[in-house]
Parts: sequence; C-alpha cells; structure tokens
Amino acid sequence: MRRVNSLAAALVLLAVSVPLAQELNRKQLPPVGKSPELRVPTWTTSKLSNGAQLIVSERKGLPLVSFTITFVGGSNQFEKADRRGAAALTTAMLREGTKTRSGEQLALDLQLLGTSVNAGVGGESGSISFQSTTEKFQPTLEILADMMLNSTFPAPALERLRAQRLVALAQANAQPGTIGSRVFSRVLYGAGHPYGQEANEATIKAVTRDDVGAFHKEYFQPGRAIITVVGDVNAAAVKSAIEKTLAAWTAGGDKPSFTYPATPPLRAAAIYLVDKPGAAQSVVSIGIPGPPRNTPDYMALQVMNFILGGHFQSRLNANIREEKGYSYGVNSGFTYGKGPGPFRAGGDVVSDKTDVALIEFMKELRGIQGGRPITDEEMTQAKASMIQRLPNQFSSVSAIGSTITGLYLQDLPPDYYQNYAKSVNAVTKEDVLRVAKKYVDLEHLNIVIVGDRKSIEEPLKKTGVAPIVILDAEGKAGS
Amino acid sequence: MNTQTRTPLLAALAMAAVAVTATDARQAKPPASKSGAINIPFEQYTLPNGLRVILSQDASTPTVAVNLWYHVGSKNEEAGRTGFAHLFEHVMFTGSGNVPYGLHDKYTSGVGGNNNGTTDNDRTLYFETVPSNYLETALWLEADRMGYLLDSLDIAKLNAQRDIVKNERRQRIDNQPYGRVGEILSSAMYPKTHPYSWSVIGSMEDLSAASEEDVKNFFRLYYAPNNAILTVVGDFDPAQTKAWITKYFLNIPRGKPITRPKIEPATLTAEKRLMYEDKVPLPRLYMQWPSVGAKHPDHVALEVLGPVLAGARTARLTKALVYDKQAAATIGAGQSTSEDTGEFGVFLSPRPGNTLTTLEQEVDAIIEKLKTEGPTAQEIQAAVAPAELNFISGLQSNLGKSNQLADGAGYHNDPGYFKTAYEKRRAVTPDDVKRVANRYLTKGRVILSVVPVGKSDLAAKPEASTKVGEVK
Repeated sequence: MRRVNSLAAALVLLAVSVPLAQELNRKQLPPVGKSPELRVPTWTTSKLSNGAQLIVSERKGLPLVSFTITFVGGSNQFEKADRRGAAALTTAMLREGTKTRSGEQLALDLQLLGTSVNAGVGGESGSISFQSTTEKFQPTLEILADMMLNSTFPAPALERLRAQRLVALAQANAQPGTIGSRVFSRVLYGAGHPYGQEANEATIKAVTRDDVGAFHKEYFQPGRAIITVVGDVNAAAVKSAIEKTLAAWTAGGDKPSFTYPATPPLRAAAIYLVDKPGAAQSVVSIGIPGPPRNTPDYMALQVMNFILGGHFQSRLNANIREEKGYSYGVNSGFTYGKGPGPFRAGGDVVSDKTDVALIEFMKELRGIQGGRPITDEEMTQAKASMIQRLPNQFSSVSAIGSTITGLYLQDLPPDYYQNYAKSVNAVTKEDVLRVAKKYVDLEHLNIVIVGDRKSIEEPLKKTGVAPIVILDAEGKAGS
Repeated sequence: MNTQTRTPLLAALAMAAVAVTATDARQAKPPASKSGAINIPFEQYTLPNGLRVILSQDASTPTVAVNLWYHVGSKNEEAGRTGFAHLFEHVMFTGSGNVPYGLHDKYTSGVGGNNNGTTDNDRTLYFETVPSNYLETALWLEADRMGYLLDSLDIAKLNAQRDIVKNERRQRIDNQPYGRVGEILSSAMYPKTHPYSWSVIGSMEDLSAASEEDVKNFFRLYYAPNNAILTVVGDFDPAQTKAWITKYFLNIPRGKPITRPKIEPATLTAEKRLMYEDKVPLPRLYMQWPSVGAKHPDHVALEVLGPVLAGARTARLTKALVYDKQAAATIGAGQSTSEDTGEFGVFLSPRPGNTLTTLEQEVDAIIEKLKTEGPTAQEIQAAVAPAELNFISGLQSNLGKSNQLADGAGYHNDPGYFKTAYEKRRAVTPDDVKRVANRYLTKGRVILSVVPVGKSDLAAKPEASTKVGEVK
C-alpha cells in the first residue's frame, strides 16, 4: 500500500495545480485534448491443411488467449423449418460425452482447468470457443477438439436437454419481450422465411438423435471455418499446435450461399396487437425488413440511426423517456446480415401511455425523414461518437477476435478500420435524409404491441395511426 | 443484493464488472509469473476535503474510466421513503449548476464513450468511460454534480425522473414473471424496520411521496467529498490528472459527519413458508437463509459453498436433481454478500411431473449429507479454479478495475483488497465449507413457492404456507 499522507499530498498538489480555486470558471467547458491515435491490431492469415482459415493476432501484456472457430452459415442455412432448435440441441450435446470422456468427466476436466468451452449457432454463423490463461491453452484446446470431433451424442442426454428446453421455453413465453420479438419477426417475414422462424415446442419435440448427428456432421466442417486466435501466443507455434491437435479434422464442407426467399409483399401499415392481460407495460416494436450488411448505404444508415435512436440522447429516447417519462428506455436499430434483417424502433412503455407513446414514435420517424431537419450538431456528434468508440472493439482479446472475424464473415476488406473514419466522415445530411426516406417506410410499417388489450385497444384506435389487427402470442390471427 | 441502474443499456456491463475471485485451495502457490498477473497497480491519496482518490494507469487502450463511488444506498433510507437513493441516482443525470441538462451524455456517450449509474443497498456508483482526451471533461462533469447539483434542481426535474424510475420498476419488476421475488424474500428475511428489508427500487407509493426538500437534504449529507471515492483507471498522465482533480474537486466543501445505520444481522429462529401467485407458467421454489456480509470472514467459504452445491454438472444439487434424477430443469445456489449482511439462496424450476414439495425434500437431504460429510478436496478445487482466469480477464476492463479498487477502499479501507480476497479464496478448505454449511444452512430460513395464479396447490407444502400478495 502506498498511502500518502493527505495533508502533504494536498500541499504538493496545490503547488503543482495551475489555477487557484477561486479563479476557476466552472462554466468553462474544459479543453479537449488531441484525439488518441486509433491502434488497429495486426494479424496474420493462413490456411490449415484441412482448408480452415487461420487468423492469429498476437497481443502480449496479459497471459491470456482467446480461441474461436467460427462457422460461416447458421441455423437459417442448416436447420430445416420443422426442426428449428436442432442446432442448439446439437451444440448442447457436445458437452454430453466423447469416445473417451463421459459428460461428467468433460465438465470436471474443464472446471479443474478453470475454463469452459462454449458452442452456439446463430442465424447466419456459429462458433465453438474458449478463453484461457496462456498456461491452460493447450489442454483446453485438446478438450475442445475432443468435444467437436468425438462426441457420442448419448440418446438419454438428448431427452434430458429437450425436457429442460421445453421448460425454459414455457418460462420465456411468459416474458412480454419474448412474445414481442417473436410476433414482430413473424409479422415482418412470415413463417416461410427463415427470419420468421424459431424453435417452438413442436419443432423441439420433433428433433431426433439422427437429426443431431446429421447436423453435427454437416455443420462442423473446416471448409467453412475461420479459426481466430488472439492474445499471448506466437503465430507460428500456435499454428502448429492447432494443426497437431485438430489433425483428425479432415477437409470437407464449404461456405453456404445465403439465398433467401423473397420477403412477403409489403402491406399497408397496421398495429398488430397481442393481448397480455393486466400487463403494467406495453412492449412496442415498430419496423420493416431492412437492407443486408453489404448495402452501400450502411454508413449513412448508421449515422441516421444514431441520431434517431442509437444513443441515450437520441431523438427517440430524449423525447419518449427523458422528456415525456413514458418509458425506462427506447431505441432503434438495424440488424444487418446476409439477408434483409429488420429495422426496429421500440421499447417498453407504461400501459396507459401506449397511445401517446406511439404518437411520439411516429412523430420522430416522420421527423427523421425531413419533418425535423437534421442539425450540424447531430451530424458532428454522430460521426464523432461512431469513430471514437472504435477502441472498445479492440480492448480485450475476445473483442479483438470478434472484430477481426466479423470482417471475414461480412466480406469486408482487411483495412476496413483504417478507412473507417474516412467513410463515416463522408456521410452528408443529404445521405442521411435519403436513407431515412428509403428504409423507414412509413406507409408499410408494422407496429407490434404486446400489452393489456382491454385498456389500450380503444386509445390506440383513436390515435388513427393505423388499423388494429389482433394476433395471438404465436403471431397467428386472433379475434 | 439487488442493483438498479440509470439506463438499461449498460446494466449487463455493470454487473459483469463485479469481479469474481476464487482460487485453488489444494495446489501449491502458483509460479511467480502467474501470481504477478494478479495485480492492479495503483496509487492513492486523500484531498483535505476528504475525497479519496485512487489512480491506476493502463495504456493498453486509449480510454479512461472515471468512477465516483458514494457510500450511500437504500439502507440509508427511512421506512416510508424507500427507493430514494436510486431515485436520486437518476436526478444526478439531470444537469448541475454549471452543466446544463444533456451535456453529461453529450461528452460521454456522445463522444464515443458511455456512462451509467447504479445503486444497491450499500453504495451508489457513477461511472463513465471516455476517450482519453476527454478525461478533463469527465472530471469537470463529476465535480460539478458533486458540488453544484442543487443549484439547478427543481421539482419538475424530480418529477420527470420519478416517472422514469416508476417505468424502470414496471419493466424490471412488475411486468416480469418472478420479478417480485427479490423484494418478497427481503421483506420476509428482515424485520420491517431493518435497512435491508426494503428493495432498492422502492415502492410506487414511497416514490410518489419524496419531496424536493427530502432530495436536497439527502444530497447535502451523502454527496459530499468525504463520503466519496474517485477512481481513475486507464490511459492518462498521472501528474496532469492529479492537477485536474485538484482544480475541480479541491474547493468542494466537506459535508457534515454521517451517522451510519446500525445494522444487526438477520436472525430467523424458525422456518417461514410463503407462497406467491404470479402470472407465471410454471412454479419455482426459492430457499433463503440469513448469512453474513463482507466484513465477516465466513462470507468467503459461503461463496465457495455456492458452486459446490449448484452450477456445473458436477455440483451436488445439479448432478443429483438435474442430471441423475432429472427432476429439475434448472437449479442455482449462491451467497449474496452485501456490506453488512448477506443471504444464502437456492432456487429451482421443476420439470413437469415433479412437485415443489418433493424437490424441497430432495434439496434438504443433499444439503444434510454435505453438512455431515463435508465436500471433497476436489469439489473445492473445481469450485475455485475459474478464479485466476476471471481475474486476469477482468484486467482488460478499465471500468471493472475501477470497481474493484473502489469497493476495496469503500468496504475494507484498502483499494488493494482484491489481492487479499483472492488469497482468502486460496485458503478455503473443505472443513471451512462444511463448517459454514452447518452454521448457516439451518432451520431458520424462508421458503417461497411462486405458483401460477389460482394454482396454490402447486406450492411446496401448501397447507403450511402463507400467501403473500402486495408487497409495500
């Protein structure tokens, strides 16, 4: 402990401090120092003998390593519509035992190493990963390899996992937020589009052990894998360790094409109301299918969304939360992917303000399209914030890993972040206005509200925003 | 312990920043290179007005975390004015004498950083992470709301924040299945006048009752430099930073001496059985015992007892009830450590076809067995092994480090307490865990069944359970 005597410290500090206390003008905003230089980590990329891509970024300082195998393509490409949930059950089954370790032994071995191996599959990519100290890297990698390559998928374990999942699903279905996001996706994309599908009781019950085995065999292939290692490693040494440890993982698989069926034809704007009797709040989701990540409008959309609902003092939150007090927080955002991910604005609002909150949402959506001109200050702040938050994407080994991997998943150039500030700064007010008009299509907005129908339906009708359609919690037509 | 935050955006981060430390009790000391990584270098001093300052440099990312830790939480409230400390946290973001409303966000989240506040039973925390060139701005913002908040506070601002907090309560508690469990358990565990008996977010009635004068008095007493710790972690120049801290904080006057509430540990001589009907699809069982707080040495062994009982597949309750008997879908157990008191809890969700009554008996039998035979050395080893990785990984977050340093200073008068805590975990033995299980997991406890509305027969021993409804 280096505790300094407080009086002595104060004297020393007074001597070095420049202004005397009484001269301080506290109204004066302090000067801002020179912007710190963005330090984008470097990395090497190469191929393993089985065709997997290897990315290594050395970062010394802490004895820490992040290891991830990312698979291009996800449940939208590899799950059948009537077997939704097969991917999640398969990744859970990787913990249930290998040719040489029982499920319990796997759990114990990882616990004693103080690490855990995590696997999961999202809509358009999946991964199996761990973080470890440098010392525990090799033994943890060996367990990951054993799980990925030698799992035995014992049938009783599948039944246990299925039963647990059904309980978790029943509990999630009581959450108004879960209902809101499910119905929102269903309304925007329909049951025929992968973006409108998700695991439910029927599909989880339908998954067989053969489905799990088939999913595993088809999915975990090096031909679609990006292995990203970040941290306290040597690039050459770690490559040879991976080649050796994953020697049994032979070539196969390729990157899927991301062709999606057309989204349902646009319909006139409507309020889709799902009854949640007695709810204290209404969950509001307003949106429409949006562009994929590779849209040339990406940067303009990001600036537009920052102003609209992308930060605390955004137009939506400043109005609906801070000024009106209708909510604990509202926001907006795009979900960019390979397909037409949704634009969504929304939040939880107090039940008896559902109607007036909706009016304010609509006012801000109209406003960003020109009704309320974008100011220079909004543009400056959006750009500064987007550029200056970049260091967070490089602040930990796992953040660095996912930032670099993201470039390859989305087919972005390796020098994307070196040019990021330039691309952001190139966005003009006209661009923002143009993309707001193009992508926030007021005529065809889908407004999904989960709340207490008895008290909110009439007031919503009176807003005149759009006609009301009643849906059930599965997104099917109600009465 | 429960926590409320100003905005939902960063709640997860704030929670994640609370470092978990535990270590291997059986192995010999780790080699020097490893133990060298268990470190957060810092320096500290105190200004004449009582403000404690902690600085820790880390230039690996060009950002700085500024953390203001005020030693005030819901336990400093009075019955009838619950939710006050947290309501106040919101007021602190509404501008101050020299900082108009909105500037705080503009110069934190608006420049690529972020900010939030969080309140629990014991302390209220304000923090921002900013690009390192905005450090002086962040210190100016924090100093102004410490010294000059009341210059711009009026009833309109108070009312606006009151509405937002009520929405926070609706969103996190009233509109969430099982959302009111925390406040039901606290009010059952502690006598009505006990400072840990009410929830941090407070009741709707009390939130409505707070007057402008209440708020001002609260501020004058608790938001004084002598009740605060300023921690700065990240990429900064120490001499320059000290000069800025002097410039902005030195002439904020010291406040009046603070009388802390005298807090007795909870004691339950008998079992309290409760049932609560909620809009939930499935029943859940909660068991909670009074235990000890951060200043009592037993909290360390209790924190190891949690993962011995539940979590990993090898943990006793999880192995027996989720894997072997397959009677439960999920099960959790753990010690919650506040400054003055603590609780040890178990909760579970049954699988269909299994009753809470039977599961309660199964849990009791497993706990009795552990109390008799004690855990094995390997169980302790498995429970504490993740500590090293958790600690080292946590060193990547300036905000996480600032929380560890400030909590150490605030609760243990030592910013370096993280190291002591880490070593204490290393020293936990099977006998320690056996002893605390016997000492604290006794018949004096709360058993709460949460059941779907109209299904009180699904409660554990429904005939012996008292219905609880509105919790004030």
